[in-house]
Amino acid sequence: MATVDMQQVNKVYENGFHAVKDLSLDVGEGEFMVLVGPSGCGKTTALRMVAGLEDITSGTLRIGGKVVNDETPKERDIAMVFQNYALYPHMTVAENIGFALKLRKMPKPDIAAKVKDTAEILGLTEWLDRKPGQLSGGQRQRVAMGRAIVREPSVFLMDEPLSNLDAKLRVQMRAEVQRIQRRINVATIYVTHDQIEAMTMGDRVAVMRSGVLQQVDHPQHLYDRPDNLFVAAFIGSPAMNLYEATMTEDAGAVRIGSQEVPLPVVCRDAHPGLARFGNKKIVVGLRPEHLPAATDGSTGPHLVGNVDLVEALGSELVVHFTIDARRVRAEGASSEDEDATAQHGEGVARVEPSTRVKVGDKITFAVNVAGMQFFDPETERAIWN
Amino acid sequence: MGRRKRTGWHRVINGVNISALLVVLFVGLPLYWLIISSFKTPSAMGDSPPQYWPRPLSGANYSQAFVQYDFGSYFIHSLVVTLCATALVLIFGTMAGYALGRLPMRGKFTLMVTLLMISVFPEIAVIAPLYTLLKDLGWLDSYQGLIIPYTAFFLPFAIWILRNYMLGIPKEMEETSRIDGAGPIRTVWSIILPMALPGVFTAAIFTFTACWTEFLMALTFNINLKTIPVGIATFGTALEVPFGTIFAASVVAVVPIGILVFIFRKFVISGLTSGAVKG
Amino acid sequence: MTTADISGTADQVQATAPLVGRPDVNRKRMARLGWAFSAPALIFVAAVTIFPIVYSVIMSLSNVTVTGSGISLNGFTWSNYSIVLKNSTWHYALGFTIVYTFITVLVELVIGTMIALVLQRLTAGRGAMMALLLIPWSMITVINAELWLYIYNGIYGVADAILNAVGLGHPNILGTNIPAIIGLMIADIWKTTPFVAIIVLAGLVMLPGDIYEAAEVDGSSGWSTFWRITVPLLRPTLALAVIFRVLQAFGLFDLPFVMTNGGPGTATTSLAILGYKALFQNLDFGTGSAVATTTALLVLLGCLVSLRFFRVQVGKEGT
Repeated sequence: MATVDMQQVNKVYENGFHAVKDLSLDVGEGEFMVLVGPSGCGKTTALRMVAGLEDITSGTLRIGGKVVNDETPKERDIAMVFQNYALYPHMTVAENIGFALKLRKMPKPDIAAKVKDTAEILGLTEWLDRKPGQLSGGQRQRVAMGRAIVREPSVFLMDEPLSNLDAKLRVQMRAEVQRIQRRINVATIYVTHDQIEAMTMGDRVAVMRSGVLQQVDHPQHLYDRPDNLFVAAFIGSPAMNLYEATMTEDAGAVRIGSQEVPLPVVCRDAHPGLARFGNKKIVVGLRPEHLPAATDGSTGPHLVGNVDLVEALGSELVVHFTIDARRVRAEGASSEDEDATAQHGEGVARVEPSTRVKVGDKITFAVNVAGMQFFDPETERAIWN
Repeated sequence: MGRRKRTGWHRVINGVNISALLVVLFVGLPLYWLIISSFKTPSAMGDSPPQYWPRPLSGANYSQAFVQYDFGSYFIHSLVVTLCATALVLIFGTMAGYALGRLPMRGKFTLMVTLLMISVFPEIAVIAPLYTLLKDLGWLDSYQGLIIPYTAFFLPFAIWILRNYMLGIPKEMEETSRIDGAGPIRTVWSIILPMALPGVFTAAIFTFTACWTEFLMALTFNINLKTIPVGIATFGTALEVPFGTIFAASVVAVVPIGILVFIFRKFVISGLTSGAVKG
Repeated sequence: MTTADISGTADQVQATAPLVGRPDVNRKRMARLGWAFSAPALIFVAAVTIFPIVYSVIMSLSNVTVTGSGISLNGFTWSNYSIVLKNSTWHYALGFTIVYTFITVLVELVIGTMIALVLQRLTAGRGAMMALLLIPWSMITVINAELWLYIYNGIYGVADAILNAVGLGHPNILGTNIPAIIGLMIADIWKTTPFVAIIVLAGLVMLPGDIYEAAEVDGSSGWSTFWRITVPLLRPTLALAVIFRVLQAFGLFDLPFVMTNGGPGTATTSLAILGYKALFQNLDFGTGSAVATTTALLVLLGCLVSLRFFRVQVGKEGT
């Protein structure tokens, strides 16, 4: 049982590329820590440094309290699952799982027993004599995990292990991975680019961007209190609507485009720092789920938009609308779905399925101000105090 | 590629099959000629017009080849030289192919290009110096006098083939193995090598064929310890060319390698595509 | 609990001392291992190819006398090269080798592609066909030479019998210049075409099928599909194979040596045959080495020229 502790860890490559910048992160015993971020953000590099596959340029890495910067992967007692599983194709499942034990010169019967146990945990018992080529994607993934857990490592590292699976299988395997992790109760670092995966699986989630750690927190806190623009835009699907806006002089309302949305007292109490932004530009964040359609007689701040597209999902309607404000993008936060040309006031809202709305209509949203987020446009940081 | 329905006799007699038959004739007729001629009686070899089928069938050419012309020892010479050279090529070539394919060496690219250039080198360019060197060493008419040059000459192409196969192995193999706790040599032996086995077979076949058929160096260095190509070429005298014996020996020479190539044809073909042809 | 440690603007983290990137310790270890692994092969190859080549060049630039016990080099001279470069046989050999190569490779390419196209459409027996095609490739060239020698023989050769049957009498194929060259080419083509066919077939098989379906829908006929789609896609595959074949052809020796001994006269004397005769029949190591070296230089030139065209393809996988 061990913890992982990174202090000011940096990785600079030979060609000068600074992949990981001053990363300080700790993972507790048995904790499931997810590293998430867009490609190139340094999450895989960070993982590989913990594994010992990349040298650490500066900073300290401790596993179980011991400084391990200069230790080989074997000495660190870590196990890793790769994105492509990297199973030995010429060995059977049993041989794959037992290879590391064989290298440690464990007696054969002991190896067989451990392999058998591991296979049972993973539901692989009937496949022990098959070769990887005869297995399905999900089974191969489990063999990869089996190979990792049979060694009872101190740390468990996973590099996007579910990326190669189809959507349905991925959801299944998410639960599997969590179940196994809880069972072996080992500090785990899991890398993914999929924020949904991060949110559903992690005890804590660390968001990275361009080599810098943005925020590390419990998933719900990341959702409720993003520290900066990037985290706000990255976490949550569909993504948060971010608009350029101006605070009124008395900081009592926020002007988004031509509309003025008054901020109730509770909101201003929750974000006292807004007072400093009277008459200044800020960025407003509204999650799609915080824009329900206004019903007759609803009081409170409203926002009106022109409907561009309505997607009926059955459980809800996803309404794509436009307002006359400028949308703000956090570089790297959006997925491929989001159009690079979206500079206009497009937004997305999730409303009740019974809402009567069609393309071309004007729709009024009852803004849920409790969920509103505010950001300083220059520092990109959230405005709280 | 039209997809017309093929029914009835169209299934058998159509443009493709006729062309295929022509191809079979193109390749097969000279081979047929070679094989049946070897079974003609020595005197029937000189018939004009020639016998299109041996009457009578005779094994005289074969006994002549082995008894009179000592073809058996040529066969053994070729076998020894070829097997030794192929073994050396595979051992050194696999190691080099692994290094040049998967290890972070500077100047890999230059090395590969140089090796490629050496593999098309004309033997004539080195034959004279090698001759004098071997003469000084007293290695003319020896096994090693051919094995060593063959190994050196056929290594570049084998390295090329092996390296290409090695490149196809996923990068994570070494890392996984390292995490499992294996050292680099153990990794190569237990993980990489088994995965590269098809490539090894391909290189083996190519090298075997190259050694078996090599002529110029064998002719120059081994006047007495003849290999098959030299032996067959020197059957008889300037006045009398014993074709019968030559063909009998040829059939014996072609059959084993023909069988080997047939068994390993998958490797030959994949070697031609990924090895020689692609970059 | 948040641990946001980012400074105000975007993502620039100013380190107090600039960090320098070094190659990983493990990387360096692996590089050393790589050299250790390649060393035996590289030493072998260098010893048997590079040094002899250098020595060959030296010989070509010296007065060489061959005695019973060995050869001795007496002084520097250009005379070997001036003799060779003025020699009409050498001119002939150079031209012959080039033209011979050009024609045989071209014919092999054409027939080989045709065979490959047939094979591609073959539904049953493709495996057996390919096995059959490999046999000429695996044959010893000497054997091939003897076979065609027998076929071309003026008295009992089957080619002779066929020619006689169509009323062309008993021509001495290998005794007359042009027929001898053609006879040589036919033997070479017969042996090598199947090999080319397999390479082309392998290339064809790798082509994506949906392009052809799209072409069919667009109304492209077989011929135009071939020229506009198949050929351009096959080009990289073929080009490298052709380059290899052409460069290797400069060493043409086995076939003409056994079939015609370079004759009649010097009609089928290739550069390698010329070199061999100069070296081991005339025992003139000086001019022989000059022939050998010039041949090597030509091959080198060819390599460098083709390299320029293939830098991209080879380089991508190399580094």
